[in-house]
Amino acid sequence: MCASVKYNIRGPALIPRMKTKHRIYYITLFSIVLLGLIATGMFQFWPHSIESSNDWNVEKRSIRDVPVVRLPADSPIPERGDLSCRMHTCFDVYRCGFNPKNKIKVYIYALKKYVDDFGVSVSNTISREYNELLMAISDSDYYTDDINRACLFVPSIDVLNQNTLRIKETAQAMAQLSRWDRGTNHLLFNMLPGGPPDYNTALDVPRDRALLAGGGFSTWTYRQGYDVSIPVYSPLSAEVDLPEKGPGPRQYFLLSSQVGLHPEYREDLEALQVKHGESVLVLDKCTNLSEGVLSVRKRCHKHQVFDYPQVLQARWFWEAYFQSIKAIALATLQIINDRIYPYAAISYEEWNDPPAVKWGSVSNPLFLPLIPPQSQGFTAIVLTYDRVESLFRVITEVSKVPSLSKLLVVWNNQNKNPPEDSLWPKIRVPLKVVRTAENKLSNRFFPYDEIETEAVLAIDDDIIMLTSDELQFGYEVWREFPDRLVGYPGRLHLWDHEMNKWKYESEWTNEVSMVLTGAAFYHKYFNYLYTYKMPGDIKNWVDAHMNCEDIAMNFLVANVTGKAVIKVTPRKKFKCPECTAIDGLSLDQTHMVERSECINKFASVFGTMPLKVVEHRADPVLYKDDFPEKLKSFPNIGSL
Amino acid sequence: MQSWRRRKSLWLALSASWLLLVLLGGFSLLRLALPPRPRPGASQGWPRWLDAELLQSFSQPGELPEDAVSPPQAPHGGSCNWESCFDTSKCRGDGLKVFVYPAVGTISETHRRILASIEGSRFYTFSPAGACLLLLLSLDAQTGECSSMPLQWNRGRNHLVLRLHPAPCPRTFQLGQAMVAEASPTVDSFRPGFDVALPFLPEAHPLRGGAPGQLRQHSPQPGVALLALEEERGGWRTADTGSSACPWDGRCEQDPGPGQTQRQETLPNATFCLISGHRPEAASRFLQALQAGCIPVLLSPRWELPFSEVIDWTKAAIVADERLPLQVLAALQEMSPARVLALRQQTQFLWDAYFSSVEKVIHTTLEVIQDRIFGTSAHPSLLWNSPPGALLALSTFSTSPQDFPFYYLQQGSRPEGRFSALIWVGPPGQPPLKLIQAVAGSQHCAQILVLWSNERPLPSRWPETAVPLTVIDGHRKVSDRFYPYSTIRTDAILSLDARSSLSTSEVDFAFLVWQSFPERMVGFLTSSHFWDEAHGGWGYTAERTNEFSMVLTTAAFYHRYYHTLFTHSLPKALRTLADEAPTCVDVLMNFIVAAVTKLPPIKAPGGPGPRPKPPAPAPDCINQIAAAFGHMPLLSSRLRLDPVLFKDPVSVQRKKYRSLEKP
Repeated sequence: MCASVKYNIRGPALIPRMKTKHRIYYITLFSIVLLGLIATGMFQFWPHSIESSNDWNVEKRSIRDVPVVRLPADSPIPERGDLSCRMHTCFDVYRCGFNPKNKIKVYIYALKKYVDDFGVSVSNTISREYNELLMAISDSDYYTDDINRACLFVPSIDVLNQNTLRIKETAQAMAQLSRWDRGTNHLLFNMLPGGPPDYNTALDVPRDRALLAGGGFSTWTYRQGYDVSIPVYSPLSAEVDLPEKGPGPRQYFLLSSQVGLHPEYREDLEALQVKHGESVLVLDKCTNLSEGVLSVRKRCHKHQVFDYPQVLQARWFWEAYFQSIKAIALATLQIINDRIYPYAAISYEEWNDPPAVKWGSVSNPLFLPLIPPQSQGFTAIVLTYDRVESLFRVITEVSKVPSLSKLLVVWNNQNKNPPEDSLWPKIRVPLKVVRTAENKLSNRFFPYDEIETEAVLAIDDDIIMLTSDELQFGYEVWREFPDRLVGYPGRLHLWDHEMNKWKYESEWTNEVSMVLTGAAFYHKYFNYLYTYKMPGDIKNWVDAHMNCEDIAMNFLVANVTGKAVIKVTPRKKFKCPECTAIDGLSLDQTHMVERSECINKFASVFGTMPLKVVEHRADPVLYKDDFPEKLKSFPNIGSL
Repeated sequence: MQSWRRRKSLWLALSASWLLLVLLGGFSLLRLALPPRPRPGASQGWPRWLDAELLQSFSQPGELPEDAVSPPQAPHGGSCNWESCFDTSKCRGDGLKVFVYPAVGTISETHRRILASIEGSRFYTFSPAGACLLLLLSLDAQTGECSSMPLQWNRGRNHLVLRLHPAPCPRTFQLGQAMVAEASPTVDSFRPGFDVALPFLPEAHPLRGGAPGQLRQHSPQPGVALLALEEERGGWRTADTGSSACPWDGRCEQDPGPGQTQRQETLPNATFCLISGHRPEAASRFLQALQAGCIPVLLSPRWELPFSEVIDWTKAAIVADERLPLQVLAALQEMSPARVLALRQQTQFLWDAYFSSVEKVIHTTLEVIQDRIFGTSAHPSLLWNSPPGALLALSTFSTSPQDFPFYYLQQGSRPEGRFSALIWVGPPGQPPLKLIQAVAGSQHCAQILVLWSNERPLPSRWPETAVPLTVIDGHRKVSDRFYPYSTIRTDAILSLDARSSLSTSEVDFAFLVWQSFPERMVGFLTSSHFWDEAHGGWGYTAERTNEFSMVLTTAAFYHRYYHTLFTHSLPKALRTLADEAPTCVDVLMNFIVAAVTKLPPIKAPGGPGPRPKPPAPAPDCINQIAAAFGHMPLLSSRLRLDPVLFKDPVSVQRKKYRSLEKP
């Protein structure tokens, strides 16, 4: 800014000795170029918004303009359905090739109108539902318009309702599809199969190896693991607005709404109704509806009229998989997808548990009850910056613990090299120093390859008060509770009614809901979870604030296991013998405020308060019992 | 000179700007000039029809099938399903009762074990007339004898033909309507929901208890091989798949590089076990992998996985298409640690719950059939597929998971905050007035039940308590203590002996602890088992030691489900043993809970003032029970759960459970 002002004052400094005519010429030229550049730049940004609009790619045509295909009377007919078909015999899985996303690609044939030799059409063009179904597939992630990359082919020939079809000709139309190949990897959707006289339970159109997603299969027509059994969609359900179901039990314990029931069954049901009264409701067709009322939307019990299907009070399954054509189509494709990529399949619970159950429950990643053998031992991980003297003291103390199998020092100081090898204390187990790239607190929870045991002891470089007995006992306790945080410094979270938020508490109370990872045992899997699966921005937030990594770990473990921590031994002072009740740092008022903030922050990110409060701690069986000290396994336990 | 240089730089700037303009502008103009057309690769999708409104529905209202349904008929062909070929009316009375045809001639060891485990089960009945299921053991290949048509055959109706090996005999009779329980049947002949797929049992498979699983830790050990492949002669070879994909077809065997170790092992030591090939070989490999905690990777198995009707194998095994080997290998290498962890644990749980002994396999078979008979009151999938499994979570107790002590966390529920005290008054029959007052004083106590089990007449007067007090006149049998009385209304039971002494705060604190561990027993007095080298058997001690494996049921909290388990799942012989040697009952109860939880009990502080030395149980009691269980389920614990400030040198005012610390 300043510079240009200066030049302006001094006149034409840029082109000092040019003639005025030239000067004007140059300035004009320059302005044109400048304008052009600006215009181009703007142009670069504008057109994108036009291009990204949705309608750009979608064809808009009339259904009457589709190409007509004439089927000669003698064109080939596929074989009847092969009842022995299974995925490994009739399905060409090579077409599904390698797909890093484990998602099949589905191609939809273009819509055509088929006519016979006399020009009479073979079927109605396409039904509203089949159009909706193909649209749903086309809008999904499964869709591809590249026939060469497709793993599954969906003909646009509508066979939802067998009654509307000319069976032989429909089959001929299938057979002439460009990739038909005996129907391999072709998927047909049918909801109303069969016809007089034998009312078959599967589509009668000869279809060879094609997969059938059918409504109304019987166990004899359904090819286990090959066909897909789908619900029969009711066009009526599109307009149904179900009332919200309130809490508490439903009005009817048992309800039958089926019409055309076999008389024997109906008698039984009505007997039930007589016996149980109000809680059982047996409905039938209405006989005396006034004009203009759609009979399929009503059901009657004697003279009482009920809205149908609202009276059913259907819920989760219906909403998830039955309510719309789209839901039916996508569930069908997901089922086939799960068969082709079984290792990426959706679990039983994901299919079946309503969202409320999914939210309320936890699935412990370490669910198998198992006490790991003592011989495995544990790996101690000491996070340090530059307190070498204190660090060496901690190393010396920890190395006395019989079950220690390795010691890992995480050197978090990038400006200073760790001491030379010769200066480190000589200990009986391997000692490894890991240098970090950045001074971050999350480095202490990184799943280092060097960790070979399942048990990890996280310990600060200033925790010098813990005795070998206390640490060994802590490891024994961890073995009995390998899915929990087992630690020494216990803390509590409390609800502050005045401030209406969570509060951190480090007083010596009767309750515990956290143990600090300044000295705690836990399973190394939680390192993986902390590093890669921590919800929201917590991990970065902790690194940025240089605080609360221990509280974050407590939240993480409690949230994933649903279990409380275990505080071991009475120990409450960790840093030096002369320290007062609570360690100096913790007394700091701002420290307490920050820690409380962490709890509130984490609770909002987790969307819940996962910490569990307990009133117990773990002591050795004979702790403070009237029993000879020398016979106790862990005599050196007990001081604060 | 200077001006020339200036002009030159000016020209340079100008031409550069022009070039930029032409480049940028040219492209934009080009784009404008050409008609917009979809980019190659952008999907065109299914067209949005302009006249979609005119489309008709696929079915008109009223067209949906309304024709009268006829009652189910037996199928015309030879194929059977559950509804058409099994007569459940025979099972209405006592549920599933099983008769087994006695063996004829010499029988193999496996055969004998199967017979023994059926006869030992609660489903067994002597009379074919009262049975709802008749079981016929098809003979083994070893004996070579072929069975003839049994007497009550009745065209095979309600029969289960148990076939452990592919049929060696030409069919001497038609199967008719009989179900077939067969080791790893082919998928083509298997009738889902009717036949039962069994595991392939090796000759040496133990009768009960079972071969323990090999899994020692939850997550795979670092550096362990990713994949184990089958070798000839029953061994396994581990392969390092880090570098290439070749181990699939064995082509790499000529090049045993440093990454490949050639080892013969009976049980594989790898994260995944590749199982291809055909039964029965593959089926026996499959079982080995489960036992080893090695996740089975099955390539296009043409055989039905064992108990596939109830076991969700997607949680424990990878089934993949043998035609896409590279894809499978890539999937294994990239599988998330979370999934590997879950699969590993599940293999081990399934092995231990359903496969590790002949008895478990047979009981699982019968349980599957019972679930079919029960229909809606069968085990829900969760009970089959999470620990402790359907054999230990009885559906006769409840079919909702939240009623059991094992599934609270999975269900997002918690045990009730109240307990029932069940006080057993054996001889000499002093009404435990002080104990009743102490227990009734607990804020968590919901009711007190007194089980009067001695020769003295029932006292007519009982102390006034804040909670309801019920007196049950017992049958003078010790096993009565663990009967599932319908009067027990709470999840938690505090089992007490009239001679126990407890304070209210001891009760309060121990109950809080139990709420954190509702599947375990929480007690005060402990005892231990140990292996007695001198006698070559198990020993029992009530001495105070640094660890314990049992809590005495004369004062212990546990879930009421264990009463059902004690009464309805234990073999009668064991309950009789408890009645004859009353001190055995503690051991027995601890065995059951440990067998279910696979965890030690929990000790809370308190209980004894001056410790009454409990009489040691009959020396052989623990060995008899261990023999009946087939293994030693007890585990030791080295800890006690105390209040957080227990015996700490801090102000008494701070402490919630002060009275616990009184000497």
